[in-house]
Amino acid sequence: MTAIHPMTREYAEYLHDESRSVGSADSISFPADEDGIRSVLRALRTRPDGSAAAPPPVTVQGARTGLAAGAVPGGGHVMNLSRANRFLGLREEDGVFYLRVQPGVVLSELRRHLVAGTIPARGWGRADLRALERLYAGPEQVLPTDPTETSACLGGMAACNASGARSYRWGPMRPHVSALRVVLADGDVIDLRRGRVRARGRRLALSTESGRSLEVDLPRYAMPRTKNASGYFVEDDMDAIDLFVGSDGTLGVISELEVALSPAPAVTWGVSCFFDCEDRAVDFVAAARPALRHAAAFEYFDAAALDILRSQRAHAAAFASLPGLDDAWGCCVYVEIACDDEESARGDLARVAELMSGVGGDPADTWVARTDVDRETQRFFRHAVPESVNMLIDARRRADPSITKLGSDMSVPDDRLRDVVALYRRTLAEAGLQSAAWGHIGDNHLHVNILPRDAREYAAGKELFGVWAREVTAMGGAVSAEHGVGKLKRDFLAVMYGGRAVAEMAALKRRFDPYCQLGRGNLFDPHLCEGGA
Amino acid sequence: MHLVVCVKAVPSTTEVKMDPRTNTIVRDGRAAVLNPFDATALELALQIKEGVAASGEPCRVTVLSMGIPDTERLLRDCIARGADAGLLLSDRAFAGADTLATTYALGCGVRALGEPVDLILCGKMAVDGDTAQIGPELAGELDIPCVVDVQAVEGPLGAGDGADEGTGDGPICRHGRLRAVRATDAGTEFVEVDLPAVITVGKDAARLRMPGIPGVLASSDAPVTVLGADRVGADPARCGLTGSPTQVVRSFVPERADEAEPVRGDAREQAAKLAELIGGMA
Amino acid sequence: MSGLAIDRELCIGCGMCVKACDTGGIELAWEGPRKFARGTDACVYCGACAGVCPVDAISITGGAPTGDDPSTYRGIWVFAQTGPDGRVLPVARELLGRARTIADERGCALTAVLGAGPAADGAGPRDLIAAGADEVIVCRDARLAEPDAEVFARWICALARDRRPEAILYGATAFGRELAPAVAVRLKTGLTADCTALSADPETGLLQQTRPAFGGNLMATIVCPAHRPQMATVRPGVFAAPAPDASRTGTVSEVALDAGVAPRVRVLERRPAAAAASIADARRLVVVGRGIGSKKNLPLMRRLAELLGAELGCTRPLVEAGWLEYAHQVGQTGVAVAPDLLVSVGVSGAIQHLAGIGGAKTVIAVNEDPDAPVFGAARYRVVGDCIEVASALVEELEGR
Repeated sequence: MTAIHPMTREYAEYLHDESRSVGSADSISFPADEDGIRSVLRALRTRPDGSAAAPPPVTVQGARTGLAAGAVPGGGHVMNLSRANRFLGLREEDGVFYLRVQPGVVLSELRRHLVAGTIPARGWGRADLRALERLYAGPEQVLPTDPTETSACLGGMAACNASGARSYRWGPMRPHVSALRVVLADGDVIDLRRGRVRARGRRLALSTESGRSLEVDLPRYAMPRTKNASGYFVEDDMDAIDLFVGSDGTLGVISELEVALSPAPAVTWGVSCFFDCEDRAVDFVAAARPALRHAAAFEYFDAAALDILRSQRAHAAAFASLPGLDDAWGCCVYVEIACDDEESARGDLARVAELMSGVGGDPADTWVARTDVDRETQRFFRHAVPESVNMLIDARRRADPSITKLGSDMSVPDDRLRDVVALYRRTLAEAGLQSAAWGHIGDNHLHVNILPRDAREYAAGKELFGVWAREVTAMGGAVSAEHGVGKLKRDFLAVMYGGRAVAEMAALKRRFDPYCQLGRGNLFDPHLCEGGA
Repeated sequence: MHLVVCVKAVPSTTEVKMDPRTNTIVRDGRAAVLNPFDATALELALQIKEGVAASGEPCRVTVLSMGIPDTERLLRDCIARGADAGLLLSDRAFAGADTLATTYALGCGVRALGEPVDLILCGKMAVDGDTAQIGPELAGELDIPCVVDVQAVEGPLGAGDGADEGTGDGPICRHGRLRAVRATDAGTEFVEVDLPAVITVGKDAARLRMPGIPGVLASSDAPVTVLGADRVGADPARCGLTGSPTQVVRSFVPERADEAEPVRGDAREQAAKLAELIGGMA
Repeated sequence: MSGLAIDRELCIGCGMCVKACDTGGIELAWEGPRKFARGTDACVYCGACAGVCPVDAISITGGAPTGDDPSTYRGIWVFAQTGPDGRVLPVARELLGRARTIADERGCALTAVLGAGPAADGAGPRDLIAAGADEVIVCRDARLAEPDAEVFARWICALARDRRPEAILYGATAFGRELAPAVAVRLKTGLTADCTALSADPETGLLQQTRPAFGGNLMATIVCPAHRPQMATVRPGVFAAPAPDASRTGTVSEVALDAGVAPRVRVLERRPAAAAASIADARRLVVVGRGIGSKKNLPLMRRLAELLGAELGCTRPLVEAGWLEYAHQVGQTGVAVAPDLLVSVGVSGAIQHLAGIGGAKTVIAVNEDPDAPVFGAARYRVVGDCIEVASALVEELEGR
């Protein structure tokens, strides 16, 4: 029996996530498995006094690394799944390994176990153990999805359809999820396996394990043709599982998931290319995308981001081990080359040199990481950028608690990259706001972060985000490309798809969650759910 | 000016795991890497090279290693980062060398370079052996001064300023001095030493730079020489296992408790036990 | 004959050695109806196979005899290092304590070797005899006033060539670890660094020297069969120093340093060690987390740290809340620490935090929640109210 604890001071950390917004709740539970999840949900439905009041909202949490406040509770109950972190089994089919885990398994732990060959397999069946032996005997396997925050958990990554730098090559989490078990708000379970249930057009028929059938109409909006994590994934004849991946904890609780592993590329080289100005960097990316056969990622760091890093390196001990940046370097494009042999990698490296020269850059202004130590240095460098910006904001927050970082997460189609960069630069300059931008330039997906110095600038920044949401939508882009909509970006979702589409999403949610308990406030305003059941 | 950096290939991780079923060591099978201390020594050498080159004097960095043929890969990587040449001593005769036999082989290697050496840099220790003996033993082998656990260098100063003539006919004949900050039992010392000399470098003295694209592309056909024991004039009786005074009788993984040991009782009893535990630690 | 020797009478062909080998240096081969282990060209003689062999069938045998008869060497020497104040360091007494036992087993004399400046503390030889030495060889010379490894090495080499000790032990201090190899290379003998155990083999009388490698993840026992003296450095604190016995007697012999020995490293300036500049270098750490409840409990934690001689670290939420500066933050986004002792108070143990404390030798974790992940990284688990436990511990430590 999983205990439901009153929300006392010692659980205070469970009221916030990495978005740094803080919520409130009455109780919290830490189920360790599907039965625990079901028993908590059922207990919450049973009012102790037998009254017919609506059951409380339930906010599901994984590792609380989200940036859109999806795991921040708005009253009611917090269901934290970090203790449901067992590895459940492994199967091999057509040479692909499928690993079954509980949602709380942390990505960095998974990676560590895969490298070291130490996946905890106690209690596994013989077939699973045999598959595990074959896994260890073969080439190293990985889950290709690489969110910047490696302490994310797999359940959370599926719930928000996480992505990362390598999504340029391997896509987001969605295609790697092969099966899900989802507990509905009433404790019933839907067992989903890729390829088993498809929609007909926009009509989807599902059945639960208790034998209930659910026929739902899918919303009719068309998704943008760009990297996208905004609202429910819907398209004609879609696989049922894709509806639940990226649903931000609003349809059900993921109690188990199965992910497809891929062989790790034999050779992975990271190349940081430095340019004196942004135009050259953008030209380089545009030219390199079609030219580099083995590119797995293109990341960008603008001049302001590098300057913040320079100053943190000089002042904070934790950043002292960062490699030094030449004063002439204005911005950086990080290219990752992943392939099967060093010869191919050298070929791409030579092309990077040509492409840099072609846009007026110097191939000597590069860092090439081919060893674990260098890759770690580069990783530290890339992660130090958001980290040092967060520190800057934390310092400002202490002076004015109303300030938080404003981080954008919008993407556009390939041919609009130059336009969207120009839009950001023009509007930021007009508004006189301080900013730092970095992110997944290969997917035309930059995180432009506004760094407000006071409450007025904070308000101006929020307003600017609204402008960008409209412009990006007009370019055929997405308002949230990877962080998910959560609670922080739901206004943008309405801008992107329009009020009718959002109402359709809310209607869909009510079919699975009639009292609108799960993830209340994620994706859309809670009042859109009212009148259900 | 000619600098030699002695480097060693070490396992990529120093973690040693036991397979609980077979009670054997689990090896990770990953490729060897450059000893992190040696990486720091290389960076220091490259910085000295830049300083010397800026003053107009030519300066070369040679990386020297004793190891299996695959170590050539690491020497090429050093060249990609700015070293000029590599010499790998690779021979069955070198296998099983302890520090004395390794020092002897490296000394033969230095003499075989055919070019006078002004400064030899070693990592303070290797992360697999942790002996910290190669630097001081190599200095003794070549009979030149040694400064261990260097944190920073200044200079070299006074190259060619008319200081005492070195041992003109040996492998090492240039002049000049080097100033360095070294860590000691009592703190740090700022010291000066006439070249040629050996210094061993602490891990935090510098951070090895990453190579640029031109360095990586050029390093695939960079000059790495691979020589066996006879080619460097080494006496087989002083090489490898045969030339090693010490012998490993056995190696084993120390036993360790996996589970945390509970400290029970009420707060007062727990505190008393903790105080006792902590008191028992040196 | 040197190399990897496998006793075919003993080998049972189990293959444990093959699993233990990192280089493909040993393999199993069929010979008639039985499998045997045999060495390959890839063997590097590391001894990993010998360590796992369940029937002790494998041995690594070393080099040819030197032509110098080991039995003509007699007696154990301990190098007595002095500190900046001229006093003998505790590690010298610790070594004498252990070496006394070995010397008694071997039936040989124990000698302390003390080099010092002319003005050094005159109590040194007496202290060394009280700690177990039968004889103290003293050299007072201005050139020995400062720790110059080459000068000391040339002095000890001359002495050892003359008096032929069977073993010389050094403290594994920074100076000891510089001096010992400088002696070893000049005497062309073996040296085992940083030993944590020493004993005399009852049959051969050889000094068995056990030392950690791979950062302490692997232990190796090493001998030096044919070369003399056998030499080892030993970590300070490994052996207990014996209580001084003022009634012990011994001889003190004064020797001179050769006139030709001169230092080649010039010391321009000395700076004494500063206190640990950051928590990254601290030997002891108290790390506090949200579980301490409130900022007003910080002084209690500071007091605890002070009593333990520890620095204070914390988790990220405390820095975010502004309770402590970023320099105190331990973890993936803060500072990675590697203290000998880490007392973790009210830290639940988020994975980002645990990533930063992996280098800690001994972790004592105090937390109210018996399921807190921090216990997975702990050596000792204390389940209880962390303020109560911390207060009681402060009281306990103040009382001692």
